[in-house]
Amino acid sequence: MKNSIEEIWKEGFLNEKSLVAPKINDLYNQKSKHVVDKVKRMFRVNLIIISILAIIFPIMHYFLDAIWQGVAASVLLLLTAWYGNRLTRSINKLDQGATSFDYLQSFDRWLKDVLSRGEKVARFSYPLYFLIAISTMWSAWNKGPITSKMYLKYPDVTFVGSVPLFAWIIAGVATLLMLYFSDRIYRWDVRLMYGRVFDKVEETIAEMEKLKQGL
Amino acid sequence: MSKDFYQISILPFAAIIIKICRAYTNSQEDFEDYYQEVCLQIWRSKDNFREQCQWSTWVYRISLNVCLTLLKKSKRNGQTYFASDVLPDVILIENRAFEDESLNQLYVAIRQLSEVDRALILLYLEEKSYQEIADILGTSANNIGVRVNRIKERLKKILYEKFN
Repeated sequence: MKNSIEEIWKEGFLNEKSLVAPKINDLYNQKSKHVVDKVKRMFRVNLIIISILAIIFPIMHYFLDAIWQGVAASVLLLLTAWYGNRLTRSINKLDQGATSFDYLQSFDRWLKDVLSRGEKVARFSYPLYFLIAISTMWSAWNKGPITSKMYLKYPDVTFVGSVPLFAWIIAGVATLLMLYFSDRIYRWDVRLMYGRVFDKVEETIAEMEKLKQGL
Repeated sequence: MSKDFYQISILPFAAIIIKICRAYTNSQEDFEDYYQEVCLQIWRSKDNFREQCQWSTWVYRISLNVCLTLLKKSKRNGQTYFASDVLPDVILIENRAFEDESLNQLYVAIRQLSEVDRALILLYLEEKSYQEIADILGTSANNIGVRVNRIKERLKKILYEKFN
């Protein structure tokens, strides 16, 4: 090697034809792909977690002496995973469009549609999860002769089955509240998990719109 | 981004952006990604330009920031970054971005430096003064000379080993 690095640099770039700027007519091509891939990846991880929980729940409930509640939770989780998987697969039918802007916009529409369907499902599944949780707690708590002890200690309390009436009322009110707030809880839940990446999609679309206006 | 903005404010400085992006990427695809992201970032931050420095200095600064950020991101996402001497043949072939073979070799050597050292040597080779280098990198000008000499020695060693 004869030249110094300064000379290599200078002489190399003197007649260099490769310093031609690449075309930037599809600026967001890679970026939109990355965003969509990230959402897909997160959905997949979420489905895996739900499936794992569906296996763990019955085992956990078995030790709590509430196997049926465990099975019920597992079935509910598996149904959620199945529905989630169906929705995630529909992403492949998305209109790729002529540009990355079209693609990202159809992805955004898809995302909103998925979230509104999720809200509808959550309206019923969240109260059910809640009831299963209450039932599990009651089963675990009711292991000993607690009902007979309560009978003795509070003879005035009305029992329906082996459960005090006030407990039925509290559980009922809480389930109704759960039913009422389920969509809000679902939105909060989704925001917690995917908030950042959803914001990214919206930011990118807004920026692309701004960019388009200038062109 | 208006065509005028691209043609007036970016295109005349495309060589700077290309030189920097090439030092931080190992494939044509990555290079184009980095180049586009730099252009976008220049456009996004055009309103922040306060004319306290030259536009070219601004372009250097943004180019380096974007490249360093993207490199950090790709490392965090687990995308393997090869030290250039262990690059698979395919990437090495793709990486012959310039017609001048010595220049290609110099770039292979530069890519073996740390991210900041790469920025430093690129600015030095672009004949920026130590003060300008310090301004662009946001450091003090005190040790720039010593660091540049150390980096040059390292590059010479890498190139010497390659050519002999």
